[in-house]
Amino acid sequence: MENLLANCVEKNLSQFMFTNAIFFCERLLAEFPSEVNLQLLARCYLSNSQAYSAYYILKGSKTPQSRYLFAFSCFKLDLLGEAETALLPSEDYVDEVPGGAAGHYLLGLVYRYAGRKNSSIEQFRMALSFDPLCWEAYRELCSLGAAEEASTVFGNSAFQRLQETFVTQRINFSEGANIDQLTDSDKASRDTSLWRTEHVPGENQQDPKIRQLGADIPPDTDRQLNTNGWDLNTPSPVISQVLDAPPPLLHKNMLRSAVEGSLMSVHGGRRIKFSEEMSAEATEGSGRRRSARIAARKKIPMSQSFGKDSYRLHLSPSESNCVPSPSSMIEKCRIQSSKEATTSGQSISDIGSSVDDEENKNPSESSPDSSSLISGISEVLNLLKILGNGHRHLLMYNCQEALLVYQKLSLKQYNTHWVLVQVGKAYFELQDYFNADSTFTLAHQKYPYALEGMDTYSTVLYHLKEEMRLGYLAQELISVDRLSPESWCAVGNCYSLRKDHDSALKMFQRAIQLNERFTYAHTLCGHEFAALEDFEGAERCYRRALSIDTRHYNAWYGLGMTYLHLEKFEFAQHQFQLALKINPRSSIIMCYYGIALHESKKNDEALNMMEKARLTDAKNPLPKYYKANILASLGDYHKAQKVLEELKECAPQESSVHALLGNIYKQLKLYDKAVLHFGTALDLNPSPSDAVKIKAYMERLVIPDELAMEENL
Amino acid sequence: MATESSESEEEGKIRGGNDKLIIEDDLREMSKNAAWSVSSCKPGNGVTTLRDDNLETYWQSDGLQPHLINIQFQKKVKLQLVVLYVDFKLDESYTPSKISIRAGDGFHNLKEIKSVELVKPTGWVCLSLSGTDPRETFVNTFMLQIAILSNHLNGRDTHIRQIKVYGPRPNPIPRQPFQFTSMEFLTYSTLR
Repeated sequence: MENLLANCVEKNLSQFMFTNAIFFCERLLAEFPSEVNLQLLARCYLSNSQAYSAYYILKGSKTPQSRYLFAFSCFKLDLLGEAETALLPSEDYVDEVPGGAAGHYLLGLVYRYAGRKNSSIEQFRMALSFDPLCWEAYRELCSLGAAEEASTVFGNSAFQRLQETFVTQRINFSEGANIDQLTDSDKASRDTSLWRTEHVPGENQQDPKIRQLGADIPPDTDRQLNTNGWDLNTPSPVISQVLDAPPPLLHKNMLRSAVEGSLMSVHGGRRIKFSEEMSAEATEGSGRRRSARIAARKKIPMSQSFGKDSYRLHLSPSESNCVPSPSSMIEKCRIQSSKEATTSGQSISDIGSSVDDEENKNPSESSPDSSSLISGISEVLNLLKILGNGHRHLLMYNCQEALLVYQKLSLKQYNTHWVLVQVGKAYFELQDYFNADSTFTLAHQKYPYALEGMDTYSTVLYHLKEEMRLGYLAQELISVDRLSPESWCAVGNCYSLRKDHDSALKMFQRAIQLNERFTYAHTLCGHEFAALEDFEGAERCYRRALSIDTRHYNAWYGLGMTYLHLEKFEFAQHQFQLALKINPRSSIIMCYYGIALHESKKNDEALNMMEKARLTDAKNPLPKYYKANILASLGDYHKAQKVLEELKECAPQESSVHALLGNIYKQLKLYDKAVLHFGTALDLNPSPSDAVKIKAYMERLVIPDELAMEENL
Repeated sequence: MATESSESEEEGKIRGGNDKLIIEDDLREMSKNAAWSVSSCKPGNGVTTLRDDNLETYWQSDGLQPHLINIQFQKKVKLQLVVLYVDFKLDESYTPSKISIRAGDGFHNLKEIKSVELVKPTGWVCLSLSGTDPRETFVNTFMLQIAILSNHLNGRDTHIRQIKVYGPRPNPIPRQPFQFTSMEFLTYSTLR
């Protein structure tokens, strides 16, 4: 009965029938109370978005897998302290963080949310060392500014690790499974070797981790038989977020193990079917998971997949009939796969075809496997190196380098949503809004369902003042997903472009409600408050954004602008300095820093800063303008005039340039030129208040002339 | 300027009103930074009804004419437009007729800057504060006072449903003498 019920539960989970699964799991747990069944129930609850239920039933559990699930539930409930203690009961046992790389990644997230930056960096690094394919950990490191070179992280040591992982798995299966069997019952409650990433290169079957492989076999091995087939494939969407953490390696593990397991002829066709499913799932899942963002805590299906082909490994049959191992692997795969975000239906059909093939295949030698394994691993790592490098450069705001790196990708990989968004962001940071626009448009056209990065796209359109297109984008995004913060950010930008700042603010606040940790929404709120001249509100929003992500330089910039408006120039300087530290190549920030310096009477530094800004970005006309302004206010009219005359050549249509020139000529007593420029300025459609000012200046110009004339008379 | 409904030949008379309020982009509402007060009011129809964005609620005065609405700012601001929502069909004898707008530093030195007569207004009525001189597009003042001198059909008290005050948008870039107009400059002028 236990088997039947467990089978039923797994099947329901795989088919997203969560309430049914919960019902049956409760019966199962009542009849056969055990740790494993408890964990199964927790999984059901987590799949059904009932983190609180999982939290309660798992409270106090000691087994590593339970601890991991418990920690995950705590994390979902925002109980960061408890999550931490669950993952890390005491300081000494750092190795025993359950879940291996996934556990470290989760712990890293907990620390990051709690604001403990260094601990989180350490955890992410550990996650990566355990499992080089824990891409999300690398992303988090990049966003914290503490990522190492991609070539080191995804380099030789990673290669070794991955190789060992797979090789060990295979050896484990093919040899002494018997030993495993013996140790099974003893280790029934040990950590789920599910997360094998923490394993140590050990051909030695006595290796505790490897033993744990067997250990996972539940006492009732028959159950395993029945649980093949459907169960594995569908991860609950909720848990898939967890599994975003477990790097694709897990999948590969499962894949391998599934492959291995399938060879065990003991359990026959069913298992093979299941393992095939696993392999299909794993590759798809890994690809998708790779691009999902844990931080956003959303399940965004990404069409990206990488290196899948290399994983279509042959089945290397094993000679011996090891009952425990295959079942343990299967169990492992079962639990792991159930956490993947893949569609079972599709894979099942894939499997259907492949199953027949596999069954007919003869067990092949291990050597073709290992060579394909090696080439597979190196392909994946190469890909990760490029992507990691690019991502790191982008988050350090070395945008040119990032663009160059991404160019190295194959066309197939480049045209995936994630990469296109990265490229778009790189152009955006370079203020090259036209290229950013075209990249983002392509991304959106190809993947209209993928919302990540669309908030940046809406900002690009905002900068380009494309009201129509921004309106369209906002509408489309909302129709795709009304509950994603990016959509509301786009709507907010749309209102803001129309100068309806109150509505824009409301939209951004909605985005925040949907996801408290969406940093950009906070910054945009701040901008709207500033536009409404509510500077206290603006400051509050910017600081909230910074509390979530200290490296969000837009928020530092926003704070600086607020202080400039409030005339607190020293503070403003400080904020701009911090912003520049994060993004040292932004000429806009340099300009404002220069303005703040000038207002604090540090005029030499101000002028230097303007020079620096000019050199950083030759396309930006403003440093020259600001420089001229500073020079004029210092009384150095000749220099100012020279600079502005230069500028006038580059930007003849800019009213303020002419207006400022007019003022300067007035000071230089060249009244004819002054009048000429004031007139031109007026012709170029200045704002009404400026128009009034300029007219007033012109009036005052005429009078000295008249006085001079009167004197002559 | 904001769109005005038909203006009659006689100077200072405004007929009708707009249903929808359409304001140009280069104007923004100044009322949030101001302290509003009225000379008298009926309980339940006080000064907050003037600012609640609700056209159903109205301010009703309760005293002798002229009824006054005072808007005081913390610093001198440039004002360009005053917009009232009044409706003869709903308020009949409570509808204001002669309105005088005064500006100054405080109660002691208010000077009239505009005087209009409304004739059966039915909606948003826009009163521009600009003088004829192009230099006088704005009124730079600490305080604005809207005085209702008389009502339609010689009513004693008056109803006003909403008031908004507009001025020019400030330079989004602080501490600069002029605003940017060309796309190029604007693109590089802010980060978002």
